[in-house]
Amino acid sequence: MTLATLRLNFIRGLIKNATCTALLQRPLGYKSSISLETLYPNSSLKLTTPAFKPDGNEKFSGFIPIQKLDISYSASSGPGGQNVNKVHTKVDLRFKLSDADWIHPDIRQRMLELYDKKLTKEGYLIIKSDCTRSQQLNLADCMRKLRNMIRDAEVTKREPSPETQERIRQRQLKAARLRVAIKREDSLKRSLKQPPTVVDL
Amino acid sequence: MGSRQITEKSLSMLRSLPRITLANIRDNPGSKITQKRGRGQHGGDKHGAGNKGSGQRQNYMRLGYETGNNPFYLRIPHENYYRGHHLKREYPPMTLLELQKLIDRNRVDISKPIDIASLIKSGLYTLNPDQKHFGVNLTDDGADIFAAKINIEVQWASEQVIAAIEKNGGVITTAYYDPHSLFILKNPQRFFETGQAIPRRMIPPPDAIEFYTSAATRGYLADPEKISQERLKLSQKYGYTLPNLESDPQYDMLTDRKDPRQIFFGLQPGWVINLKDECILKPKDEELLQFYSM
Repeated sequence: MTLATLRLNFIRGLIKNATCTALLQRPLGYKSSISLETLYPNSSLKLTTPAFKPDGNEKFSGFIPIQKLDISYSASSGPGGQNVNKVHTKVDLRFKLSDADWIHPDIRQRMLELYDKKLTKEGYLIIKSDCTRSQQLNLADCMRKLRNMIRDAEVTKREPSPETQERIRQRQLKAARLRVAIKREDSLKRSLKQPPTVVDL
Repeated sequence: MGSRQITEKSLSMLRSLPRITLANIRDNPGSKITQKRGRGQHGGDKHGAGNKGSGQRQNYMRLGYETGNNPFYLRIPHENYYRGHHLKREYPPMTLLELQKLIDRNRVDISKPIDIASLIKSGLYTLNPDQKHFGVNLTDDGADIFAAKINIEVQWASEQVIAAIEKNGGVITTAYYDPHSLFILKNPQRFFETGQAIPRRMIPPPDAIEFYTSAATRGYLADPEKISQERLKLSQKYGYTLPNLESDPQYDMLTDRKDPRQIFFGLQPGWVINLKDECILKPKDEELLQFYSM
């Protein structure tokens, strides 16, 4: 296996370096002018399973290790006859919040405060979903809810966005301009009510 | 005279004769008929215009007129919702449930990459390229119970379907086939019997290029490195652990792909397949080789 791959790489190198490719007749599988090698010359063109690289600045980067969650399926409630009774589309996602080492300690502390009353006796946080007819979509819904919960707990102080801040500043400037304009008008009115200054020529 | 002498004589004539102008060329005899008004017993009298009526009086009814009743071209009203219907591509659907059934009943071989040809060959999926069918659309019905590790190439797939297949350790690719290629794929034997060279597969039309070059839809023209990143994103969205493809013993089969210009696995454009003598005829001419490798 390894010898064959070495030969393969050697021949590939030959093809890349050869000036007259017509002579070599492309022996390793057909490669047209719009093959992936010509479209993406800097890519490895390999399908891999990349490991998640967490961002150092963020406390929560959005990644949730699925194997640390306890996911179970059950039948949903509501109308649907035999189908709703038999198909397990309801998703129950739970994990022990105090033992969740994949959540940043600050966020975990905040979540414990927020969901203190909602945890079970053993300390498990439960997220359920049965809004759609598909188990796959219900699981995606649970993941979305969990991610939102963690993100909301991450936010400590809420600052208005730069656009909002700019809008507030413009409003303040406009108010100031109006105030000064009215003041100028009133001043003119008052000066017109006074008798004119008589100048003896 | 042999053909070589004919060509030599023609060339020598060309060298000696004057330049061709409008003054020294004429039509082939019998190619043009001059319309002359008929005279005499057979051509004269009513001159082919019949008796009375609009025909003889050159006061014809307008084209489409049906002597008073509502004409065909006015019966059907304008409905703008069908504008461009003749240009819209169709992808007849196939559910994941159907695919699972095919696999369970061994009607499709999962130890090799599955493409539209394998699905048609199973006999349970029909495609009519002459009716604007551009391939198979894999739908999400049965995504919850799908449990097969396959390398499948379809023409259209939604995010749910991609998630369902990748969750089980499989690989899905969306690829475009032009109608001519689909005709060939539908019945390869009939095509090989015609003795034609395998053509190149054409690139997608402008409105489909974005779909087939994006990694999120697993397009065949997308960068595999970006596709790997999208796999991770999708696994996080749909809540499953991404199976490790590299450690899979079937990794080579799962990542096996056709070239964008290839129609068949293992066969190149330009080759002529001789079924009778069980051999393949490959072109040697430089121009042909360059054309088929473009």
